Amino acid sequence: MKQFPTDMKSAFPYAVESIGLLSDKLVVVVGDIGHSALQGFANEYPNRYYNLGILEPTLVSVCAGLSKEGYIPLGHTIAPFIAERSLEQIKLDFCYHSLPGNLITVGSAFDYSTLGCTHHCYTDLALLSSYPNTEACYPSSPNELVSLLAQRYDSTKLTYYRMSRASHGVNFAEVSFGKNILVKAGEDITLLASGPQLKTALELSSLLESQGLTADVLYCHTYKPFDVASLTESVAKTGRLFVIEEHIYSGGLSSTALLAAVKAVPSLRFDCHCIPDLFIRKYGKYSEICEGLGFSSTSLYSKVVSLIR
Amino acid sequence: MTPPNSDLRSRIVQLVCAGGGGHIPSSFSVIDIIDLVYSRYITSADGLHYTFTLSKGHAACALYSVLHKYGYLTSEHLNSYLNYDSILGGHPDSTKVPGAEASAGSLGHGLPYTVGRALASKIASTNAIHFVLVGDGECHEGTIWESAIVANNLSLNNLIVLIDYNKSSDQICPHNSLLDQFESFGWKVFEADGHDTDAISTALALAVNDSCSKPRAILFNTIKGFGVPMLEGHGPWHYKIPNEAELTIIMKALGQ
Repeated sequence: MKQFPTDMKSAFPYAVESIGLLSDKLVVVVGDIGHSALQGFANEYPNRYYNLGILEPTLVSVCAGLSKEGYIPLGHTIAPFIAERSLEQIKLDFCYHSLPGNLITVGSAFDYSTLGCTHHCYTDLALLSSYPNTEACYPSSPNELVSLLAQRYDSTKLTYYRMSRASHGVNFAEVSFGKNILVKAGEDITLLASGPQLKTALELSSLLESQGLTADVLYCHTYKPFDVASLTESVAKTGRLFVIEEHIYSGGLSSTALLAAVKAVPSLRFDCHCIPDLFIRKYGKYSEICEGLGFSSTSLYSKVVSLIR
Repeated sequence: MTPPNSDLRSRIVQLVCAGGGGHIPSSFSVIDIIDLVYSRYITSADGLHYTFTLSKGHAACALYSVLHKYGYLTSEHLNSYLNYDSILGGHPDSTKVPGAEASAGSLGHGLPYTVGRALASKIASTNAIHFVLVGDGECHEGTIWESAIVANNLSLNNLIVLIDYNKSSDQICPHNSLLDQFESFGWKVFEADGHDTDAISTALALAVNDSCSKPRAILFNTIKGFGVPMLEGHGPWHYKIPNEAELTIIMKALGQ
């Protein structure tokens, strides 16, 4: 086994090889993406690794067929080509058939910053979560990916993994599927973040502290099933919720969290920062897209302070 | 002269009339093929494992009639067709229907799904043959051709695609030669009259017993509504329920 990964790029093959050791039922199917990275698995288990080519809807249906025969499929390619191009295959061949399996995407939201709309994908969690028999998570650090895949690869449902290229930089000792992580405790507001935006939330909490304000920083890696309990406990204390996520406004974490939190605290003060209802037409680096869309502690600071005051 | 499988054809008509919905001509188009697949393979005890997937789900009444004939479904099941609590809907739901291998309806799913099953059998070194029935209209779907590539690349010689060539696609977007198309994708191809029992049996046996490493496709020349002249062709009968007078004509043509 290789050394434990320190970045997201090496985390994926490490996680897949780890699961390959756990189960001889795991069959990896890729759409000509990740082929080089997965050569370790391919060499170790040539009978359980297939690079089908650039035909994503068929890739998803083939995975469903493997599942029907008792194998544990792990389909992998770029996010929009699984979540959007192949959505009907997911709906019918997996969900309607009540078949389990794993779909791991690379290039979440605008990770492929320079490649334009065709390679951006920021509706996926809403789309996938909307179907019965699915679960969805968003691992954004190496140990999360390794841990979440180990916990759910043989789930009874179709598990969607939105794998980010960027990491939030926090190394969690323990990650439990379906459980948010309280990264920092405070009193004045709940900052709920997912993906690499945990980093922004932590920077925001430091800025708030400089003004004598404190925040619960809650990290969500599992979108479905959503951990209602940890959120309601936090907002019952703070009465205010601010959500930061690299997903379009509708149907993502902000919608789910708002519905859950307002039931617990009807007087809840709520705001969020998500991707607007627009195609991102800028290029540049990932960090530049983040900055351009206002995903930074300095951009969000006044919005958060006004929610508190 | 009554057509083959007149009992199964009558059952299809009765189902559609009682339930108030269904595709009679499409079901008539494939009934002779499905019946032979079940009688010769699915219900056989020759030591091999066979599966049959109906990809063109709108021919559900043909599948239900065959499943009833071979004991998967009861008469009570058939009598409940399209009722609120029935397990039998206008398209098969594999989570409900005993013997139905796939939930179908939207076209272009059955083949890639069966490619996955055939691949699984290869991985497990299982002695299994997987049949999947698609329509010629369905062959407009891109996933059919994506799957054709994959099946050939993976040498899935345990996969047999049964093409119901009832020429429904010829009116709009003809294929010119479906067999040539599959052959050009590396498949072993066969052709037969899809309403001639002997011809169907021969074609199935050739495809099953062929020793090459290629996936196989059998093009069955069929007629929508075959057996009842009033239903044949591509007119308004695609999703029409016969009235009483029409039912009498249909049943008379079926020798009932």
